[in-house]
Amino acid sequence: MREFQPVPARPAPVKTVGPVAWARANLFSSIPNSMMTLFVMALFVYFIPPIVDWAFLSANWTGTTEDACVRDGACWVFVKAWSYQFFYGTYPEEEVWRINLMLGLLVLVIAASFTLPKHIRLKASVAAWLLLPLVGIAVLDGRLLGLNQVTTDLWGGFTLNVFMAAASIIVAFPFSFLWALGRRSEMPFIRSVSIIFIEFFRGVPVLSLFFMGSVMLPLFFAEGTNVDKLIRVWIVLIFFMSGYMAEVFRGGFQAVPSGQYEAADSIGLSYWQKILLIILPQVIKVSMPNILATFVMLFKNTTFLLIIGIPEVVQTLQTALSNSYWLGGHALEGYLFVFLVFWSSCFSMSLLARRIERQMNTDKRG
Amino acid sequence: MSAVKSSSGAEDIIVIENLNKWYGNFHVLRDINLRVKKGERIVICGPSGSGKSTTIRCINRLEEFQEGSLVVDGVEMINDVKNIETIRKDVGMVFQHFNLFPHLTILENLTLGPIWVQKKPKAEAEATAMQYLERVKIPDQADKYPGQLSGGQQQRVAIARSLCMNPNIMLFDEPTSALDPEMIKEVLDVMVELAQEGMTMLCVTHEMGFAKKVADRVIFMDAGQIVEENEPNEFFNNPQNERTKLFLSQILNH
Repeated sequence: MREFQPVPARPAPVKTVGPVAWARANLFSSIPNSMMTLFVMALFVYFIPPIVDWAFLSANWTGTTEDACVRDGACWVFVKAWSYQFFYGTYPEEEVWRINLMLGLLVLVIAASFTLPKHIRLKASVAAWLLLPLVGIAVLDGRLLGLNQVTTDLWGGFTLNVFMAAASIIVAFPFSFLWALGRRSEMPFIRSVSIIFIEFFRGVPVLSLFFMGSVMLPLFFAEGTNVDKLIRVWIVLIFFMSGYMAEVFRGGFQAVPSGQYEAADSIGLSYWQKILLIILPQVIKVSMPNILATFVMLFKNTTFLLIIGIPEVVQTLQTALSNSYWLGGHALEGYLFVFLVFWSSCFSMSLLARRIERQMNTDKRG
Repeated sequence: MSAVKSSSGAEDIIVIENLNKWYGNFHVLRDINLRVKKGERIVICGPSGSGKSTTIRCINRLEEFQEGSLVVDGVEMINDVKNIETIRKDVGMVFQHFNLFPHLTILENLTLGPIWVQKKPKAEAEATAMQYLERVKIPDQADKYPGQLSGGQQQRVAIARSLCMNPNIMLFDEPTSALDPEMIKEVLDVMVELAQEGMTMLCVTHEMGFAKKVADRVIFMDAGQIVEENEPNEFFNNPQNERTKLFLSQILNH
């Protein structure tokens, strides 16, 4: 009898790999494509040198006042001189270690969520994430820990944007999960309450919610109670965020095949065991890209807080731009700086999310 | 647990009487009567849409029914969470599409039920799980994820997962229908072994070789009813009903 012998695998033909083949296939595959390539290259040659010249070569880097900006290029001195305010607002300089401590803790918790030993990772990181906003408030405010109080009207700058976004998404996360569950519930009361909540907060612009938080919400509190403005806005952000995330989770729930519910039922798991052990991990996995998109949206929406006079980074920038010692028109440098700071944070979040997705992907054969 | 005594004297572990089920206005199960003795192996066959899967899914309450009664191992299936949980702990199920939990390793798939439902210590659950993996002949795959296994391997894991819960009854819902021909045998081998050990089994399947080899009774269903039931020799060689004859001629001669 003849034995079956598979043909050994051969390398791909040389013509289809390497940079020349790549350029040929992607940049010069046809006459219109080649023309387009040349046109784009011309644009680069025309625009990039002046930009580089403005931003780097003839930019002003040294000095502390506007008078130092004597050259034609960008006045980065402006950004440098205001960088403390852009990051920390009017938080007292001798207490700024607290903000840095919290940023460090945030990074630590993110790192721990990836590196802790597997058997305690989930429990420890969930606990750490849920504690983080409370610890944040305690440390930044200081009273509870016996430190000098720093009232919230002094909080500001980019770190306030980070704090508001992180603190609201962390609290919104479990709530939105419950709303999504409620929307799928078979009990009519729970279902209608969930639908009304979700649709209200998804259908209303976030700006009007901020106004409601700062102007209307106090009317609902008992006479004489004075709930801090930041806390009120925080509540608004949590509601807004949980409405959006609930829909993200609902999509995730629908993507989990009904066989998973049946298998969980058939081995006798209770409802909450089934939801938490079997369904939720799969929901989070399929929803990861949308969770990130929603988070980035909320993070950028925190700049709207300037409308109600909260000194987040854009508000701080506008204060700086109207400062009488810096009237030379530095809006371009300032906004570019804000762009860069936001873009780099959002981009690192994308990278992080991609890593989480990879880690959760168990379908790869190996 | 007490079991009902049937007329023949052996213990009836499942008693289904006048079971009727509707999807909306559609009458899917009509007057189903079925008694299963402890240790009995039953194969249910029939055209698609005949209600065979629905029938066995009623037994562990993956489907509700509107009329009739169902008693499993002495526990009546009523609208009560306690009863449903008791029955589910007693009844294992294997699905057509395996339904392993994709985010857990094979070992975690097997130990989840024992740890969370039966509250066994982790080490004990893992030891039992490894025994069952040995039995289905894939102990070396314990740390992999379901997506890394072939269909036949996944189905064997699914069988092991059910067995880890120590069920008295096993339900099989077309366990080989989603498998390549070469993998069907490895799953059937495990099922035959299980049958020889005396497990009470209800299998919805079209593997007639399996039915001839292990079944005590073959049940043929059509249009939501039990058309004919008999021991396999009689069923295949001397079917009584015209509908059964037609079905058998179609699946056996091609």
